[in-house]
Amino acid sequence: MLKELATPFLTHKYLLFQLTQRSIKARYKQSIIGYAWVLINPLAQLLVYTFVFSVIFKFPTNNIPYPVFLFAGLLPWIYMQNVLASATTSLVDNADLIRKVYFPREILIYSVVLSKTVDFVFALSLLFIFMVVYHIPIGLTTLYIIPLFIIQIILMSGLSLFFSTFNLFYRDIQYLVTLLLLLWTYLTPVVYALSLVPEKYISIYKLNPMVGIIEGYRSALFNLAFDTGTICWSLIISVFIFVISYIFFKKSEKVFADIV
Amino acid sequence: MDKPVIIFDKVSKDFYIQEEKTFKEFLPNLFLGKPWAKKVAALDDVTFNIFQGETVGIIGKNGAGKSTALKLIAGVTTPTRGKVIITGKVAPLIELGAGFHHELTGYENIFLNAAILGLHKKEIEIKLNDIIEFSELKDFIYAPVKKYSSGMYMRLAFSIAINTNAPLLLIDEVLAVGDEDFQRKCLNYLQEIKKSREKTIIFVSHSEQSVKKFCERVILLDHGKLITEGDPTEVFEKYHHILEETNRNADVS
Repeated sequence: MLKELATPFLTHKYLLFQLTQRSIKARYKQSIIGYAWVLINPLAQLLVYTFVFSVIFKFPTNNIPYPVFLFAGLLPWIYMQNVLASATTSLVDNADLIRKVYFPREILIYSVVLSKTVDFVFALSLLFIFMVVYHIPIGLTTLYIIPLFIIQIILMSGLSLFFSTFNLFYRDIQYLVTLLLLLWTYLTPVVYALSLVPEKYISIYKLNPMVGIIEGYRSALFNLAFDTGTICWSLIISVFIFVISYIFFKKSEKVFADIV
Repeated sequence: MDKPVIIFDKVSKDFYIQEEKTFKEFLPNLFLGKPWAKKVAALDDVTFNIFQGETVGIIGKNGAGKSTALKLIAGVTTPTRGKVIITGKVAPLIELGAGFHHELTGYENIFLNAAILGLHKKEIEIKLNDIIEFSELKDFIYAPVKKYSSGMYMRLAFSIAINTNAPLLLIDEVLAVGDEDFQRKCLNYLQEIKKSREKTIIFVSHSEQSVKKFCERVILLDHGKLITEGDPTEVFEKYHHILEETNRNADVS
């Protein structure tokens, strides 16, 4: 199984590269500002959320300026949303390919994850600009975002494999995912701090694997204490989801061409 | 005769036509115990061999199972019963621009499509000039393919497919598009490959003329069953019988 898991990255890495490139290049063709949308989208959300949650609601954020606090959670969250939304429909969108040519189908999913990762890395530069503007020191602990990022990739890939397969059978899944993402946003500490969650709900609240990841990013960026237990939970859940989804995906792969 | 590169051993392929596409329709049926889909046999107990270097035509009416046979050879689907054995590199189906992205340029699509057909970067770079030259699209290669006419689109796709070095070429009605000059060019090119006997060619077409001209052996499918195989002229005679019979039945009813 390990060998099978690695095939897309070894024997098919050029295809993976080409498909990733296709989705990045094609997305903003025939648009005026093109790739800048990757930056404008989070900036616009930042502006409105800052007004709503910092000016109107006055959410406390442990003395971190709200825009920076928000961005640290919002960027990985937008990343997640983009991946799941595109990956869910990616098998259906590529029906032509699936019917005609054989290659490991998970490449389609990974190419979505990769192309959105490129967007994410670009958007992250905004965050660092904000940190400089707000005089927040960028220390060595920042490097901890790398393992957290890997956990997030595992989680996203797992969910994407799962949802995309189901969406091939029933298109309801893509609408369900849209709804799920909307609700999930509010159940994750993106716009508010984890400390606002009442004590009696916190243990249930932390079952959400994105809690550990988003809070982890903030700990790394603002040099706060890590909630190691929650992060470990996120890792375990993410790997679990990935393994189950991967097995499910490879088992269903054989009939993709028949049902798409 | 060389060794067989394609073996169909008692191959059957059933399809389930899902009548209910949404969960809302599916759920009541699940409780009522109705079958969730209708079974259709696309191929029924089909056995044949295709040998290295052969050029074989597959003919039959619409829905006879030709496309299913090609899909099984291409490896995108698996048989319900029986065995399909393909020796050597699995053949990319010559498919007109599967995976072309209409917003990207012809040049970008060459790399994309060739990668889909299993080529690496270096191999594509070597073939690049051949592909562009054969397609006769040198002046348009940096234009997005959405601006292409269907003939240009087809020329590019065909040029990529024949340059992939695959030992097995699957040609599905490809020559139906494009102008006559280019059709002739493609046929000539295929004749060349045929002569060299390096590649095995599977040719699916409704055009009796091109199948007869081009194939040394023909397989006739009808309703998923293999009716006969052999010399093109004889097989076509049989095919005409079937067509006549269908027409007569249609007239009676």
